[in-house]
Amino acid sequence: MASKSGRAVAELEVEKGENGRELMVGLYQMLVKCRMCDEKARILFRQGKYAGNFYSGVGQEAAEVGAAYSLREDDWIAPSHRDWTSNIIKGAPLKLCFAQLFGKATSPDRGKSTPAHMGYPPIHTITPASSIAGQLAVGTGVAFGLKRLGRDTVVVSFFGDGATSLGGFHEALNFAGVHRLPIIYVCQNNLWAESVPLRLQTALTNLSDRAKAYGFPGVSVDGNDVMAVYDVATKAIARARSGEGPTFIECKTYRWYGHSEIDPAKYRTKEEVESWKKRDPLVLFEKVLRDKKLLTDELKDKIAKTVTQEINEAVEFAEQSPYPDASELKDHIWAQE
Amino acid sequence: MARTLTMIEAITEAMAQEMERDERVFVMGEDIGLSGGVFKATAGLYDKFGEERVLDTPLAEGNIIASAVGASMVGLRPIAEIQFADFITPAMESIVQQASKIRYRSAGGYGCSLTVRICCGGGTGGGLYHSQENASWFVHEPGLKVVMPSTPYDAKGLLLAAIRDPNPVLYFEHKKLYRTAKGDVPEGDYTVPIGKAETRRQGRDMTVVTYGYMTSLCLEAAEQMSKNGVEAEVIDLRTLSPLDRDTVLESVRRTNKCLIVHEDKRTLGIGGEISAIIAEEAFEDLDGPIVRITGPDVPAIPFAPPLEHAWMVNTEKIVAGMQKLAAY
Ligand SMILES: Cc1ncc(C[n+]2csc(CCOP(=O)(O)OP(=O)(O)O)c2C)c(N)n1
Repeated sequence: MASKSGRAVAELEVEKGENGRELMVGLYQMLVKCRMCDEKARILFRQGKYAGNFYSGVGQEAAEVGAAYSLREDDWIAPSHRDWTSNIIKGAPLKLCFAQLFGKATSPDRGKSTPAHMGYPPIHTITPASSIAGQLAVGTGVAFGLKRLGRDTVVVSFFGDGATSLGGFHEALNFAGVHRLPIIYVCQNNLWAESVPLRLQTALTNLSDRAKAYGFPGVSVDGNDVMAVYDVATKAIARARSGEGPTFIECKTYRWYGHSEIDPAKYRTKEEVESWKKRDPLVLFEKVLRDKKLLTDELKDKIAKTVTQEINEAVEFAEQSPYPDASELKDHIWAQE
Repeated sequence: MARTLTMIEAITEAMAQEMERDERVFVMGEDIGLSGGVFKATAGLYDKFGEERVLDTPLAEGNIIASAVGASMVGLRPIAEIQFADFITPAMESIVQQASKIRYRSAGGYGCSLTVRICCGGGTGGGLYHSQENASWFVHEPGLKVVMPSTPYDAKGLLLAAIRDPNPVLYFEHKKLYRTAKGDVPEGDYTVPIGKAETRRQGRDMTVVTYGYMTSLCLEAAEQMSKNGVEAEVIDLRTLSPLDRDTVLESVRRTNKCLIVHEDKRTLGIGGEISAIIAEEAFEDLDGPIVRITGPDVPAIPFAPPLEHAWMVNTEKIVAGMQKLAAY
């Protein structure tokens, strides 16, 4: 996988026959689930059901789903603030995800961390700090540890274009390159870091070119094409698993909404937003599935219905869960001897 | 002429006026240009002064501060913004290894006239990483000045003083005060001296030493105590480094009691230092123990509302501290 310039849509290498169908419908289901959960999270915030903030990833689902869908149960994800849904892809129960938004005692962190910053130890998603790029170095350390332990497990690290400016990013990738660590760096380049456009963030056109400096492959891919991302990611994962080291994947994509729910995003033009909405990853993939006769109206409805029901149950669970008691303030500061 | 401004308006006005007055002044940071800043502190500056003097930087706090240090060494006057005090950590290297030491290590050959504006503080539902009040981290570093205003008047005057100061000044802004603190602010040019505390309320029964957002809470608590005949003197430090020892000591020698209130964590917080100064210099004037009301030694302010509430210093906790002290 050499560094490619410009948009490189990888050739599909989907299994043929039943397996291929299973995979593609599975990816579609996951895209739908992430989209619906994310939109629900936004609505709940707007309804004042929880405080804090939420960083929607709507529009970027294909990058996230494509990159993480084929991970094994024992693999790890180091998410950032916009990757709440990576927990869903990795298999976290929706009830816990919504309890996390609400800061309830039933959330994985018992209300300690903020709504979007979710990790769930049983499925190996790391609870992120809000400090940008922090998870990169920690994820790299996990990869280092896994390699030391002789495991064939891998780490996928998610981050945005802004994160690539921080020192911690460069230090992490350099270390991973030196030790050929089993980690896949997935940059979701959505063109904006809060209000700062890409041109003020980097002089590069393709962020994947950075990989050259650390001695491992980098590839830029259409981040709204779930199969393209899936293809590049599964190869990178296989590479990492077999001991060949890291890969940098730049997914070129776009967030539909503001940086967070309190950002009206006035710094972008309407035209820019509309042009990306026309490339909705869900609609694009739906068309592929319909052309292949893998998706019917009936199946689509069924998926939507199932997810809706699951979400409703999760929200109800979260709403009915209690807040942690004030007496828990000093819990979990020290390990219990 | 003075008008009523919010603290955030006072801050914006100070920057605009100083940029107008002094060509060398410019601002830099994340999201401060086009969007006018997360809290709109730099609103309007981009349109007025252009992108060369209102610079949206890459997302790299270490580089923001280090490059500002460099620019100040050739005579410019940078105002660097750190969006949230929590994210000052990547800049720790630039602040404690470069900014605080460049004058010392060059025996005065180089200086660093730099202002770092830092948004800090909890009580707004910001959670672990949008709440920290960590000014004390920097009080430990000689070579840095550390200030934190509690009123719009001070906000403008201290910021103008900071920009003109030939030293690196870390200027902390409590986000809870941005729009809730309102007050008279002169239109024209004035400065509030760095290193001078202000007595906000006179009282004979105890000295309360505080700063920033906590000042208003202490004043409220003092009013409550006053109804029961206890008159607390409230000192707003305004500058944490260099500390105005004289004002604190003079007051404690008069009231013979001292309560210290800060939002930051307790252990090795500035309250510990102030306690030590009083114990060293005014031990024989004390009629009771020094009492501290502070944030707890918990890694950060958690998100869930009951946990955040339990964390924060509030008027009740301060009143309880005052009552404890009054009993002596
Ligand atoms: C070290 C640090 N500095 C600043 C911030 C404030 N902040 C939060 S998200 C963000 C922009 C992130 O942009 P990017 O990495 O491109 O990710 P995106 O939000 O686009 O997904 C900033 C500046 C932070 N969280 N951490």
